[in-house]
Amino acid sequence: MPALLVIPTGIGCEQGGYAGDGLPVARLLAAASGCLITHPNVMNGASLYWSDARIQYVEGWALDRFAAAQLALRPVRQQRVGLLLDQAIEPELRSRHLQVADGCRAALGLEIGPVVTTDAPLGVTLARGGSGASWGSLVRPDALLRAGEQLRAAGATAIACVARFPDDAGSPELAAYRAGNGVDALAGAEAVISHLLSEHLGLPCAHAPALSPLPLDPSLDPRAAGEELGHTFLACVLVGLSRAPELLPWPASAVAMAGVDPALLRPEALGAVVAPAAALGGAAVLAAVERGVPLIAVDNPCVLAVTAAALGLEQAGATVLSARSYSEAAGLLLALREGLSPASLQRPFEPLR
Amino acid sequence: MSQVGFAAAPLQPLTLQPLQLLLEPGPGALRPHIEAALAAHGRPLRWAVTAVLTTAEGKTALQIEAVVTNGVVGV
Repeated sequence: MPALLVIPTGIGCEQGGYAGDGLPVARLLAAASGCLITHPNVMNGASLYWSDARIQYVEGWALDRFAAAQLALRPVRQQRVGLLLDQAIEPELRSRHLQVADGCRAALGLEIGPVVTTDAPLGVTLARGGSGASWGSLVRPDALLRAGEQLRAAGATAIACVARFPDDAGSPELAAYRAGNGVDALAGAEAVISHLLSEHLGLPCAHAPALSPLPLDPSLDPRAAGEELGHTFLACVLVGLSRAPELLPWPASAVAMAGVDPALLRPEALGAVVAPAAALGGAAVLAAVERGVPLIAVDNPCVLAVTAAALGLEQAGATVLSARSYSEAAGLLLALREGLSPASLQRPFEPLR
Repeated sequence: MSQVGFAAAPLQPLTLQPLQLLLEPGPGALRPHIEAALAAHGRPLRWAVTAVLTTAEGKTALQIEAVVTNGVVGV
């Protein structure tokens, strides 16, 4: 039963708000559902990653469209991952990224290339919304999209983008993040970059920031440790994209394929969406709920308080199942997969009237 | 996907615009209301409801944070 796991980027989720610390959750829910569709923020641990054939790595823009039944997903054996580098990356840092790509080619057998550098520095800026969520922007989105077009024309079927992000080594926000009680300040801008590329090109895309190395922090929170093991955040992105599903407009071009490709993931097959209970106001969750997909709302504190009750989802007819943990959410997914009513697993059990 | 401009509209270079809006939702599903409100400012790229507030009149208002795009590539 295909299920969607959303842990929104840049809102400080206790689980999944750091460096790949949503990965154990994804692995558990993939085992429970048999097919989990989730996004790079959940799967990316910089130098750490996990590949599981039951997990489909889908960037947020495409995830939103799948939830809204505008895209289908076609699992593939391999993507050819083009590498898009921001002109603003310094020569030494650029070499580090190329060496990571070469390492993934040599050690993991990934198909990577070509490499294209933007024709202008992208000019990444970071911002914080009124809610405390991280956002960001680009001064030259046109340069990003031109480079993406070049990669697609050269045969890339997925795109890994690396943009130079502002170093903020002394900031209180970074200190809080490394201590395990802050919001990932880079995540919002990263999502904007990958959304922009995916929307424009219709290809699987994901982003890794290029940053100068940080000084050692002996009290580093384990959830942030994945980002401090190497010189780049790129390896996880290359691994994730190497088997990211193809994006097919639905029903326009994918419907003809549905009869001949049993592996095609059609949006109608979506059996559940799992999201933090206080972050239910994103496009994917609202779109899935509108289509009658059961929502499993998991207690996973963050800076937001956008709950099912606040949004009036149940009053509007949505099926909302509460879970105190992702372990409980896995049980609920398994029940849905097996066709068991979740209510039958709870007590007290009220009689029909 | 490239945008197709209306005949009389001058082409503008692509820009990204951060937004924060307050929206009093109407009846029915929330998402169409949100996307219509954002479309008045550009093409919605990424958005989320980041707070649910109560107005001075006692009505529910959604705080929306978003980035919209305007213009086209290659101008």
